[in-house]
Amino acid sequence: MSKQAPGVRIDGLTVVYKTPAGELPAVRDVSLTLEPGSITGIVGESGSGKSTLALSLLNAVQPPGRISAGSVEIDGLGDVVGLGGEQLRKARGRHIGYVFQAAQNSLNPLKTVGKQLLDLGRSHGVDDLRGLVREAKELLGRMGLDGARVLDSHQHELSGGMRQRVGIMLALVLNAHVVVLDEPTTALDMITQANILKIVREVHAERGLTTLVITHDIGVVAEVADRLAVMYGGRLVEQGPTREVLGSPRHPYTRGLIKAIPRLVGDIDEARALPGRPPTLATVPKQGCVFRERCALRMDVCDDVDPEAVLQGTRTVACHAVTVKEHA
Amino acid sequence: MITGTGVVKTYKQRGKMLGAREVRALRGVDFAIPKGGAASFIGESGCGKTTLGRIIAGLETYDEGEVVIDGVAMSGLKPKERQPHFRKIQMIHQDPYSALNPTRTIHQTLHAPLSLRARQTGRPRSWIEERAAEVLSLVGLDPGSVLARYPHQLSGGMRQRVVIARALTVDPEMLVADEAVSMIDVSLRLGILALLKDLRERLGVSVLFITHDVATARYIGDDGELYVIYRGQVVERGAVDTVIADPVHPYTQSLLSAIPVLHGLEQPGEQPVVPLESLDESRSDEGCLFARRCPFRADRCEGERPLLQITDGVPQEHACFYPERRNVIARPLSEV
Repeated sequence: MSKQAPGVRIDGLTVVYKTPAGELPAVRDVSLTLEPGSITGIVGESGSGKSTLALSLLNAVQPPGRISAGSVEIDGLGDVVGLGGEQLRKARGRHIGYVFQAAQNSLNPLKTVGKQLLDLGRSHGVDDLRGLVREAKELLGRMGLDGARVLDSHQHELSGGMRQRVGIMLALVLNAHVVVLDEPTTALDMITQANILKIVREVHAERGLTTLVITHDIGVVAEVADRLAVMYGGRLVEQGPTREVLGSPRHPYTRGLIKAIPRLVGDIDEARALPGRPPTLATVPKQGCVFRERCALRMDVCDDVDPEAVLQGTRTVACHAVTVKEHA
Repeated sequence: MITGTGVVKTYKQRGKMLGAREVRALRGVDFAIPKGGAASFIGESGCGKTTLGRIIAGLETYDEGEVVIDGVAMSGLKPKERQPHFRKIQMIHQDPYSALNPTRTIHQTLHAPLSLRARQTGRPRSWIEERAAEVLSLVGLDPGSVLARYPHQLSGGMRQRVVIARALTVDPEMLVADEAVSMIDVSLRLGILALLKDLRERLGVSVLFITHDVATARYIGDDGELYVIYRGQVVERGAVDTVIADPVHPYTQSLLSAIPVLHGLEQPGEQPVVPLESLDESRSDEGCLFARRCPFRADRCEGERPLLQITDGVPQEHACFYPERRNVIARPLSEV
């Protein structure tokens, strides 16, 4: 039943939202490759465009938003941006599983989990519903839950961590091999979070998935992801292997973000918040670097020219200051 | 100075079909927060940390024990008489988006408590405007640009600063911050924590910090005390850096082990503690409350409940029969 993990290539993706001030980009010219079988983490603060980017993988950006340029190629499926109607509906769930941000609240409170599972099966034309239930029980058991009991439960009978696991089960049960997890551990306790992240890693390896994790918490990405991509103001400002990016961040935003994380050891005074605040759709600069208002390395060129994402070894960085240093 | 001794809170649920059920939120908790001091309550959701915070802020009653504010015992007072005491303690909630009235400008939000204050103390109306500008400056906001705005025109971090400014209008002695930074963007969190620390130093306000993110507890002051709470009982208590660096209770060790490691920057601890997860939801009230999940439990733990105590060679108080230091937290690679 297992297929090979598919690769995903996002190329030049731009997503705009219609506002009274015209169409404003929430995601601007983003290119990102998810290698088959890898876990990629996207880190960003509120308004960075990370959730919009994730929704683009399903071609599920809701009006007033729309994908205005670029493509999302998924192996075995083609360009998702070109899909529509019935084709798109079938791809969601079968090809791409999505665990929503509030998995705690995304279940139907009136139906048992089992009934919702059957609804999912029917809407995707699954003939062998018994087999689907068996698969669901197996997945839930794999995640340390009593499958039969969970399928008989309503959402209010499940804890936050259990609901999150139900969300993961529903995303995987149709045998999707591309999985997007949007803020998988927000609102969970530390111990539950550690547990869920372990499950994500293990299930990813066992089922041969290509996984994308969206989060505001660098710690979550550090725990699970092979590659790390940092978003700011709709742009991908830095990406590379997780350990390398964390060990020697190059973009000033990545550096600032890592410095701003409260840690258990080390000098408290060394950590500091970034000055200023993250831009919103309305305040993000129309030209030039999106980060310049908060940047310590700001130069004249940053005001006018949007820095291109430049590949340097294993790392891609979009910063004039870093590029200049490399060439000097 | 605010102290509590043996504070007990039990919630009674009257079920129609299953009969009455009791939830023990707090099982006899002692605490002491000196004037200008800092304390942090940490634990998982449902451990009782928020209930205790609300009792301290006067938003919740308690069933047994005593809370004493500046030498006055609260249980002997009528609700009306308690009010002026609890006014000294102001709460900062988790969500700055719902804590401010969206139809009021920041000026209107601050004006209401300040004009009450002015009437009580016989100050002139001009004082209200001065004080509004003053509290905004105290929290690091520019009064000129903020006063006329509505909450939706501010970022999450700025809104939380406004909430703190509003708390300061009544000249509190203590701020109770319940998960006050968990909804703030990561790049701005330290700014709010630094502000709380700064208010302690400049105004002598004490801070009670309630969180599930242990690391943030360090940033409101290294002189603070950490209370680790599990199922309504304090299981470890001591100076914040001592408890984080050298925890002895297996529950504290589980909490610290669960914090993500920044691979590439840090090396994980060598003896992480992972609590057992029992499918059995029926929580035993016999013996040590953590015994069912404890990887190190012994026979004694099942039958007898350890109480918070000091033992030889351990600087902090703990509630474990077999306290043992374990190397659980990640350390920076530069130190290894």
